[in-house]
Amino acid sequence: MSKVKPAPLPPDTNIGGYKIIRKVAAGGFGLVYLALDSEGQQVAVKEYLPSSLATRAPGELLPQVQPEKLSLYRLGLKSFFEEGRALAQISHPSVVSVLNFFRENETVYMVMNYLEGAALQDFIVTARDLKQSKVFRESTIRSLFDEILRGLRIVHQHKMLHLDIKPANIFITDDNKSVLIDFGAAREVLSKEGNFIRPMYTPGFAAPEMYRRDASMGPWTDIYAIGACIYACMQGYPPNEAPQRLEKDRIAVALARLRGVYSDNLIEVVEWCMSLDPLSRPQSVFALQKELSREGERRYTKLTVTEKVRMQFDTMVAETKKSVQVTPAAAKPK
Amino acid sequence: MKFSVFQISRKGGREKNEDRMGYCYTKASGLFLLADGMGGHPEGEVAAQIAMQAISAHYQSHAKPEIEDVKAFFNSAILAAHRQILFYASEKSLTDSPRTTLVAALVQGGCAHWVHCGDSRLYFVREGELLARTRDHSYLEQRKRLRGAGQEPELTNRNVLYTCLGSPTKPEYDMTGPVPLQQGDKILLCSDGLWGSLEDSDIVFHLAQKAVAIAAPDLVERALIKGGAHSDNVTLIAMEWETPDTFESTRGTISTDSIEDGVFASTVQAGWLDSSVDDLDDAGIERSIAEINEAIRRTSARKP
Repeated sequence: MSKVKPAPLPPDTNIGGYKIIRKVAAGGFGLVYLALDSEGQQVAVKEYLPSSLATRAPGELLPQVQPEKLSLYRLGLKSFFEEGRALAQISHPSVVSVLNFFRENETVYMVMNYLEGAALQDFIVTARDLKQSKVFRESTIRSLFDEILRGLRIVHQHKMLHLDIKPANIFITDDNKSVLIDFGAAREVLSKEGNFIRPMYTPGFAAPEMYRRDASMGPWTDIYAIGACIYACMQGYPPNEAPQRLEKDRIAVALARLRGVYSDNLIEVVEWCMSLDPLSRPQSVFALQKELSREGERRYTKLTVTEKVRMQFDTMVAETKKSVQVTPAAAKPK
Repeated sequence: MKFSVFQISRKGGREKNEDRMGYCYTKASGLFLLADGMGGHPEGEVAAQIAMQAISAHYQSHAKPEIEDVKAFFNSAILAAHRQILFYASEKSLTDSPRTTLVAALVQGGCAHWVHCGDSRLYFVREGELLARTRDHSYLEQRKRLRGAGQEPELTNRNVLYTCLGSPTKPEYDMTGPVPLQQGDKILLCSDGLWGSLEDSDIVFHLAQKAVAIAAPDLVERALIKGGAHSDNVTLIAMEWETPDTFESTRGTISTDSIEDGVFASTVQAGWLDSSVDDLDDAGIERSIAEINEAIRRTSARKP
């Protein structure tokens, strides 16, 4: 595996009628640029250039692929096409849209609409640093995920799974829309080859079945990640990794700390989504949407004194063991 | 020189096709190749592909337009293929080397020559009779031979070979020829997916009855049906020798008379992309891009 990352295309390079402004992101699959189309509109251009299979010297346009990696490179290309093919069929404000697809420089490019704003991840980090009891308001969480779920539902209708839903892949635009980005379904295919260094899952957000080779994935796999994202919006931190949970599950305790801060219903929804058993989760986005958008008065059950004491004790034990991360805000009993 | 040729390879019930085949020819000679990458070792299909490429490259540099010394050519070609496989294994730091069988037939000067290593076979059929067949380098066929000398028969797995290309030991192989060819003679090269499912008598019968362009796919189909859901890869190349003065040509006939000196034609492909990604060639990439752009147009047209 090459350790050197492929160099990005230099600014002002013209490819397929688009002018590169600058690199905005890099992932295992390639690079994303901010570019301008022929009418001067901003677009995002994603370049297929897997860093583990291809190299490119600074200033060069053509990537180099070693002959023995060519087969994997083409396999990855197939997945890149799959991503494009799936996204091309979807037109939804909550799903990043593909505008064009073209071949140049011996690789392929996917043109998408350019989003201005920041990832949910950035908002969470900013919000939790304010050290308030609530990271996000409950109504904010509900409306944000209502939008995301509308998009995800369409994705699932097209027989596609996102498989990497996490706050870093939920984009909040400057005009307050949430958009699902980075459809890396390709990742899954590639890792089957066992040759990809990049992990196929994001710890904390990946459902337990993603750690197993044989398990069947489905909408419930993305739903687990949605639950984990809501959890992160409440706690300010990602939940424990699934394998850790299988050993000793602290999710229920961690969520109990939020009782009184968030409604019982929201806490229950998160627990439901994050069930370790895939069959115990909402089986479809629709089922989850129904629960999340339920109108009516929110019930808040505060912790009893006994529960608080038990929890404090639990925290002390946990901290000595140093096996679990507890946020200062959440650990402080209200 | 004039001959009809038909080659076909099917994956059967296996996950991938580790068989490779091909032929190449010049104005005055033709080379037919078939390799069956071995299971139980890594990357059998790569070994088979390397063998094909190494031998056809060797042929291209030595057939001017005929091979001067056929025995020397076979010796050096097989050794070159064997070494290239080992080199590939060491380059990739494989703990075990990829391995393959090989059978090759060379036709020139009105005669056929052949060589084989492992259990891919050559059948030589004249007027409905099996004139010659290679003997597999398997313990089973070795014992059959010894049994004639008074040895007790034993149950032996036909799949266990004692030689092949790519193993740490130098390959053993058998050469035959020159065998003078007559009008209508047929030569069949096949992998064990064919002869493992069909009796020799069936193979000879079908090959003798029909033109190669009909017999070849027919035989493969029969082997696949007999092999069932778990059928091995089935691959064959069938060639029929025609004397240059016959005017009636069979489908797929190749006449080398019109070929100019120095020209070399080959069906052996470079590169060893896995068969599952074979379809993504340049045309496949262009097609995918066109399809995606078409989908984008359709979707945006639907947009309110």
